[in-house]
Amino acid sequence: MRVLLAVLAGKIVAWLVRFLKRGRGSSLPGLVALKIHPRLLSHFVRQVRRGVVMVTGTNGKTTTNNMLARMVADAGLRAVVNAEGANLVTGIATAFIRAASWRGRIFCDYALLEVDEATFPRAAAQVRPGAVVVTNFFRDQLDRYGELDRTVALIRDALADLENVRLILNADDPLVAQLAATGHAATFYGLGRHAEVSPTSTAAREGRFCPFCGHALTYDYYHYSQLGNFRCPSCGFSRPRAQVEGEGVFAGARYSRCRLRYPGGTQELVLGQPGLYNLYNALAAFAAGLFLGLDPARMAGSLSSYLPATGRMERFRCGEKPVLLNLVKNPTGFNEGLRALLHLDPPVDLLIALNDNDADGRDVSWIWDVDFEMLEGMQERINLIFCTGQRGEEMAVRLKYAGVPLGKIVTEGRMEEAVRGVLRASGSSACLLATYTALWPVERILCRYAQRERAPEGLPSLS
Amino acid sequence: MPRESVLLKVCHLYPDLLNLYGDRGNVMAFVRRCRWRGIGVEVVAVDLGDEVDFREMDFLFLGGGSDREQGLMARDLVRRRECLREAIEDGLVVLAICGGYQLLGRYYRSADGRTIPGLDLLDFYTEAGASRLIGNVAVEVVIEGERVKVTGFENHAGRTYLGRIAPFGRVLAGHGNNGRDGTEGARYKNVFCSYLHGPLLPKNPRLTDHLISLALRRRGLPAELTPLDDGLEAAASEVMLRRLLGPGKA
Ligand SMILES: [Zn+2]
Repeated sequence: MRVLLAVLAGKIVAWLVRFLKRGRGSSLPGLVALKIHPRLLSHFVRQVRRGVVMVTGTNGKTTTNNMLARMVADAGLRAVVNAEGANLVTGIATAFIRAASWRGRIFCDYALLEVDEATFPRAAAQVRPGAVVVTNFFRDQLDRYGELDRTVALIRDALADLENVRLILNADDPLVAQLAATGHAATFYGLGRHAEVSPTSTAAREGRFCPFCGHALTYDYYHYSQLGNFRCPSCGFSRPRAQVEGEGVFAGARYSRCRLRYPGGTQELVLGQPGLYNLYNALAAFAAGLFLGLDPARMAGSLSSYLPATGRMERFRCGEKPVLLNLVKNPTGFNEGLRALLHLDPPVDLLIALNDNDADGRDVSWIWDVDFEMLEGMQERINLIFCTGQRGEEMAVRLKYAGVPLGKIVTEGRMEEAVRGVLRASGSSACLLATYTALWPVERILCRYAQRERAPEGLPSLS
Repeated sequence: MPRESVLLKVCHLYPDLLNLYGDRGNVMAFVRRCRWRGIGVEVVAVDLGDEVDFREMDFLFLGGGSDREQGLMARDLVRRRECLREAIEDGLVVLAICGGYQLLGRYYRSADGRTIPGLDLLDFYTEAGASRLIGNVAVEVVIEGERVKVTGFENHAGRTYLGRIAPFGRVLAGHGNNGRDGTEGARYKNVFCSYLHGPLLPKNPRLTDHLISLALRRRGLPAELTPLDDGLEAAASEVMLRRLLGPGKA
């Protein structure tokens, strides 16, 4: 009875939200339903036929989960998937309510749930997932989570409390790889050595120390941040062998590719998105798909035609000018976003929209951990940098102290003016970087002046 | 007035270990504002176990870290205490933030009642509180006889209580040392302590310049500085002051 009431209330709220066009409605229905029936998630999860996969970690949750959802759908299976970024318990409940009948029945093979790190312990206890994918751990929104060590410890404890769970772990991130010590069966995924590995790490230094004995880790090479071929000289903890490994990696301006080696074969993988971190997301999704028993060749095909969600390196065109839109939410992701500038036609005009609402992180000091100093070395590639958002002025200060000449910095509080400014500026291409709550307004304005590029055209053939 | 011949030595303690909340922005600001004026600067990064003589330094920056990192740093600093004390008494310019601030005091009493001794260089102590004090802060600081509004972000569980020592400033908005007595940070000779990260120096150029002047003066050099264009810093500070104090108070 209580279930029926909760689902009904949730559905009415969902309908009202849509009718009134208020917000995105991706968590309010769940919030209301959970108030009526706090254990609603367990009710839904029991009905999922084959199992629940949870995806957590700092970066790449949304993309990894969406890639997995795409592969599951292409295999002709049904899945409940929570909407982009709605990764708290309320967002997960909303996804189930949307998929459920009025009587609270769910007909699906899988539930694929992207879960916020801080929410993971509570969500996992209710959902009892069959597999957990952990992408990476970077410093993110410190004022909300406390310190990274604590976040990792909370997830480790939550995993230890689960039974019969398969872990799918990033072998290259020591903070993630250590989770195998919880004793569960684990599949590791990672990248092999490639041309762009670095002998040093330039990013903020998370996870520099061995999670087991505290000794400083040594590296043969880094992919980025603390991801690489690590080893603890003191206790011997080292990068585990990856069952799913990307070899012959190429990460270009418009696409990235690698050869996927897995137990039983290899597949060529081409992604319509740039960057090593997108390859990581694809490897994570592929490893999870293997565990679910999906066909490897078909999975590679699904990944190659996968289109990114809003603001994940999305491509637009404004007249002749190519425009890139990207969400930035922590130093590591921001560094990757800046590195994308190297692949755009110079000179590039840049827009940075920095907000400080709860979802962005109220403390904007993290922008001082972003390696804006790299802009000093690519000055001739950069035309103007527009700073906007609630803390646009602070962003401008950051750029000044990174050595960007004052003449290149434009502070424009009105977002509409800033977006129009960057599109109109004289550069050959434009790049727009926005924090979470700034992304939607920037995208809305951008859509008025530019066309979204839909098909991942220009990909090299696999033959 | 180019002074390339001058070489200020900036000591960045444990830059890899203590790298929270953009702390390194404080060192960047000090260095940039010297170089923009033609004052030579050299940054000396000191890691655990490295040798350093603080008396030869002109500016020392000490940031904060997580509990474990804080422990490592405390152990390393204890054996350098005497050298640091002499340098401070001799007028070394120091900026200590958050955990670095707490460490200079008498002790830190943790939530489970353990007392962790500090370096006991400045007269204050810190006790763990039940909740973290988090948010944007505005503080009024007196710099060379003039009242200046300084902004930043605080995030600390410790409540610090000052003994016979002056505060860094007076809280206009936010929690400050302990959320009760309206004080923020501590000041002794040329040592400036604060809970404000965010980071502090790039957002508050008047304070940065004051630290540079003090460092020059200690070396017996002319301390007046060429004015710089601080329009961006002023605009950023105004945004926060308007938000915290209301319009017209910035
Ligand atoms: Zn170890």
